[in-house]
Amino acid sequence: MSENGFSGFCRADGRVGVRNHLLVLSTVALTNRLAEMVAESVPGSLLLTAEFMRGLRGRDVLIQNRVIDGMIRHPNVGAVLAIVHDAAAGERMRETLAHAGKPSDVLVFMNAHGMADAVAEGRGALMRLAAAIAGAARETVPWSRLAVALECGGSDATSALFANPVIGRFVDWLTDRGGTAIVSETAEFIGAEPVVRSRAATPAVAAQILDRISRIEEMMKADGEDYRGVNPTAENLAAGLTTLVEKSMGAVAKTGKAQFVACLDFAETPQQAGLCFMDTPFFSPVSITGMVCGGAQLVLFGVGVFNPSGNPLAPTIKVCGNPATMQTWADSLDLDVSGILSADRNIDEMATALRETVARVAGGAQSCAESWREGQIIAPKSVAAL
Amino acid sequence: MRKFIHLTEQDNVVTLLDDLSGLERLSDGTAVRPGIPFGHKAAVANIPAGSPIVKYGVVIGHATRVIAAGEHVHVGNCA
Repeated sequence: MSENGFSGFCRADGRVGVRNHLLVLSTVALTNRLAEMVAESVPGSLLLTAEFMRGLRGRDVLIQNRVIDGMIRHPNVGAVLAIVHDAAAGERMRETLAHAGKPSDVLVFMNAHGMADAVAEGRGALMRLAAAIAGAARETVPWSRLAVALECGGSDATSALFANPVIGRFVDWLTDRGGTAIVSETAEFIGAEPVVRSRAATPAVAAQILDRISRIEEMMKADGEDYRGVNPTAENLAAGLTTLVEKSMGAVAKTGKAQFVACLDFAETPQQAGLCFMDTPFFSPVSITGMVCGGAQLVLFGVGVFNPSGNPLAPTIKVCGNPATMQTWADSLDLDVSGILSADRNIDEMATALRETVARVAGGAQSCAESWREGQIIAPKSVAAL
Repeated sequence: MRKFIHLTEQDNVVTLLDDLSGLERLSDGTAVRPGIPFGHKAAVANIPAGSPIVKYGVVIGHATRVIAAGEHVHVGNCA
């Protein structure tokens, strides 16, 4: 029963994976095509390519490396074949993989004798890794070992009143049991500062989060946007939203009532359990990249009107309280909470249903977004590259 | 009788979930003023001027004048 915990793969670093991915990771765009061909040659492997670049500067190097490292170490990854361009990158990657705590190998593109040879070498390495993890078995572990990423998109009145509050009720349940939840998209917290102040575990955490929020607001002002001046919008007011705090709470409701225990940088791994804030851009593929590369094993995503975003490594569970969306996008949504609107179901009942869905998906049942293989890895940039 | 949602026990407002704004009772029997649109809020207690309006368990604004239970809570009396 889902009361005792969830089923997953115990990793060397103590974390638990809800999947056992055989990952083919292209670490630079130059090797994306090679990675595709290697992954195609071994059914069941998971290809991960992104727009990883050379010539990045400053913080962008840190972020890109953190994203790559986060994927290599991710608990949902059972084994990884990292594909790099040259021998120097190969040496660095060997060093990284030595501490990854899982079967792994490096494929150095420039060491090959032509593309066909590179594909053949990659295929051989990948088959050996597949054999190494073929016998991996799941165990039941306590809920304290679960970290979920919290996301919302395609927001409307139903996500504010049903989907996000249901997710928030589950987050309360999970954090009460020592689990972790990560919320992000800093721009959505503009207007929610009083909530951050009252719910931060310490003044230091509050100050860090508020600093991140005010930096985003400064960026908007520099762009000529007066967010507070135009919100709530005329459309919001007509729909019944009275204040900016109320509007922000539509999204913040997915965090429940737990205290914020940490303020994380993009893709930073939490060092303690509980509800964490991660500073990310608001675009969902980017924010989900940050939270998953920081270690979230699953994504809980509240939608009103539909939003397709998922993640290649972490199953995304879509929660929806809009009956029209549930009908149109039935093949892409996992939990219908519109019963709160129509049939006198309540938030607690739906939160229990969400817990059961989480247990099933954690234990191996595919979420819709996962079955559509939805999701991108996008590392945000802040300065011009060389 | 009108459908509504009371998001947390601490809330002193509920959000109306239908557009049957001619009706004057919520589905739990309490009185509500007519004319409150779908998605808008009604007070479920008397709220003195200056007191917090609580929704989602947090303060979303304050009463700019005294609000009677059942009244529409929006820009005219909440900021």
